[in-house]
Amino acid sequence: MRVPSALFAARGRAPQNEADVPFQEILPLRLKNTVSGKADSGNDVACLQEMGVLFACLKDNEFVEKYCHKEISQFQNCFKCYMDRKFEAKKTINQGIVQPGNNLNYKQLNKYMRRYPNPL
Amino acid sequence: MSFLSRLAVKSSGFSCIRRMSVYPQHYAEPVVQKNKQIEQKSELAKLHHVPIKAAVNKASDTVFHDDTKEKMVNYITKKGNSALARSLLSKTMELIKRTQTEHMNLAKGDDKDKINTNAETLLKQAVENCRPLLQVTAIKRGGVNYQVPVPITTKRSYFLAMKWLLEAAREKERKVSLPEKLAWEILDAAHGQGRVVKRKDDLHRQCESNRAYAHYRWS
Repeated sequence: MRVPSALFAARGRAPQNEADVPFQEILPLRLKNTVSGKADSGNDVACLQEMGVLFACLKDNEFVEKYCHKEISQFQNCFKCYMDRKFEAKKTINQGIVQPGNNLNYKQLNKYMRRYPNPL
Repeated sequence: MSFLSRLAVKSSGFSCIRRMSVYPQHYAEPVVQKNKQIEQKSELAKLHHVPIKAAVNKASDTVFHDDTKEKMVNYITKKGNSALARSLLSKTMELIKRTQTEHMNLAKGDDKDKINTNAETLLKQAVENCRPLLQVTAIKRGGVNYQVPVPITTKRSYFLAMKWLLEAAREKERKVSLPEKLAWEILDAAHGQGRVVKRKDDLHRQCESNRAYAHYRWS
């Protein structure tokens, strides 16, 4: 014979016994003393606008480069500037100078955190 | 002074610097050309007490030395046989010179002066004409490989141009010699025609049609 489910619903579901489900620490519940450098390496797309202008010019002139001198030089200058800046930034990072501030990169952050590690 | 500051930086660094078989950073580049030495006299005077790298053994101050030619020889070389590569390139230059001279002699009137018979400038012109502005790299996003257009450095563009010229030259019948085909390709490219220039244009076209993916790149 079927018992109407409304009867059970009114009483509600009994809470689970906590002893039956002991807490498992799957990952350590404290932060690591390091950060990974993955986020710093990616997502630096440069010169998109210049590239768009160049493509428009090339398409208009049937891919003959001599009609797009201005666009080409702009695009190349932009990329060169970008690479130079990147190179300089890398150089300063590798020198190991840590300036206090909010935009620290991963190497600087790791250096800081090594000095003040999480107490075990 | 800069040398001292560099020393200070090195000693203050946390990690010790690995010694490798490369020159340390404070070594200056050598200046081989005599006229450049005279030009940069005041700058070079500052280097009196700075160690200088040894010049590479093929560096030369003759009028026959040319960086494009040197690079081309390096790219032609197979299994370290650069003597053969050098002879192949000089044969190529000879063939270019011969064809252009023949053209010049056949031409009439003002056209005679317009024909360039300098094989070296023709080679440089050919390389310049073949240099791509961009290239495509495959980037995987969401399980799909996208051909993403990315800008390239000047150095790589020169490399690609010479590589393409050489690839076009090597794609030939067995009876044709490499200098013959290479001379042909160089002459074609110098005049803005031929397979290599077409290859560059095709690459640009591909970049243009894939421009929507340009923001996928990580540069």
